[in-house]
Amino acid sequence: MESGFYGSSLDGNLKCKFEESGLANTHEIMEKAVRWFRSRSIFVVAYGTGCGAIEMPPTFTSRYDAERMGVVGVATPRQADLIILSGYLAYKTLRRVIRTYEQMQKPRYIMTLGSCPINGGMYWDSYNTIKKLDDYLPIDVSVTGCMPRPEAVIDGFVLLQERIRNGEKAGWEKYDENFEFYKENQKRVLGGHIDPSYETDWYNLKSGGKA
Amino acid sequence: MDLASKLEKLSLELVQKQDYLYSVTIDFERLESLLLSFLNEFGYITLDSINCRDDLEDGFFTITYCLQTEERDHVVMIQTKIQRENASLPTMHTIWPQAEIMEREMHEMFGVDFPGHPTLIDFALEYWDNMPPLRRDFDTLEYVNSMNPFREQRNDALDAKEEMKKKREAKKAAKLKAQQEAEAKAALEAQNNPSDEVKNEE
Repeated sequence: MESGFYGSSLDGNLKCKFEESGLANTHEIMEKAVRWFRSRSIFVVAYGTGCGAIEMPPTFTSRYDAERMGVVGVATPRQADLIILSGYLAYKTLRRVIRTYEQMQKPRYIMTLGSCPINGGMYWDSYNTIKKLDDYLPIDVSVTGCMPRPEAVIDGFVLLQERIRNGEKAGWEKYDENFEFYKENQKRVLGGHIDPSYETDWYNLKSGGKA
Repeated sequence: MDLASKLEKLSLELVQKQDYLYSVTIDFERLESLLLSFLNEFGYITLDSINCRDDLEDGFFTITYCLQTEERDHVVMIQTKIQRENASLPTMHTIWPQAEIMEREMHEMFGVDFPGHPTLIDFALEYWDNMPPLRRDFDTLEYVNSMNPFREQRNDALDAKEEMKKKREAKKAAKLKAQQEAEAKAALEAQNNPSDEVKNEE
C-alpha cells in the first residue's frame, strides 16, 4: 500500500519525514504501536447468517464479556473492523454479505463460526447454500465447531489479535490482490445478478478510481 | 360427526386419520366449489396450509388443503390430484388472504401455476432459472456438485482404522515391556538382597 494510514505500512510522507530527521527506526516503532492499538479495539458487526448467532449474545454480554479484550459490537458495517458470519450462507445471504463486506472500512477482517462456511456442514447438498466461503470472500479466522461455544469464539478473537499484532497479511489485502478471482467466483454462483462493487477509491477518482 | 352426514349428501366420504385429523378426497373439478362450501356452509374459516406432494411415479401432484373451524378442535384435509405437466390450480387468495404466500411458495418450489394470482414472483430464492427445486425429477446432487465443488482433501489425512490399530499395538507393547522390566527388576532385587527372604523365613 503506497498511500493511506490504514495499510500495513505507515503513510509514505510520514516515513520520509522520519528518515530526514534521522529517525529511521521510528516508523517501525510507530507501526508496531499502531498495530497493537488496532488489535485492542476491534469493532464487530455480527451478521447472524445461521444458528451461530445464538452464541454471540453470551459472548458480548456479562457472562463472557468480550469487551474486556477490546471487542465491541457496533450497529453498521461502516463502523466495523470485523464481520462475524455465524453459519451457513444461502446464495441470497451471500449477495448481501458481499455488499456488507465491501461497505466496511479497511482494515477489515472476517471471522466465521461453525463448519458450514468451511465445507457446507450439514447443508453440503442443499440446492441453495454455498460450500466454501473462502472462494467468495477472504476469511481471516475460522472458528470450528457446530456450534462453537463462546470460549471458542473468544479464542478466535485472541488469534485474530495476535495476527494483527504480528502484522501478518490480512484477508482484505488478499481480497484486493485477487479481486478478479473473487469476483469471478461470486458471479459464477450468483449468476451475474450482483450489486455494483463498492471497491471504488472516492478520493482518487482521477487515477481510475480503483482502490 | 355432523360434517360426515353433510358430506354424504355430496357423495363424499370423511375418513378419520387421528383423533383430531380427518380427510376428504375429491376430484379436481369439484375442488373449488367444495372449498367454498366448507367456508360458507360448514364454517371452516381458517386455511392452515396448502401442501404439495410430488408423486413422480404416477405422474401427478397431490395437493392438500388443511382447514379449521373457529373452535380449532380438529383439522380437515381436502386432498386432490392434479397433473404434473403444466400443473395449475385455482387461486384462493380472494377467499383466504393467507393463501397468497402459500401459493407463491408452491409456485416457486413445485412450479404449480395459479392463474389470476397477483404476486407470483420470487419467494425464498432469487433469480432462480432452473427447474423448481422440490420437484423430484430435479437432481439436487448433480446441481450442487456442478455449482459447489468439494474442498480438496488434505494430503496428510490418515486412515483412522489403521492409526487406531497402531495405537493399540503400541499400547500393548508398552504394557508388555513395563511388565517385563518390573519382573526383571524384582528378580534383580531378589538376587541382590537374598537376606530379605531369609529374614522373612525367620
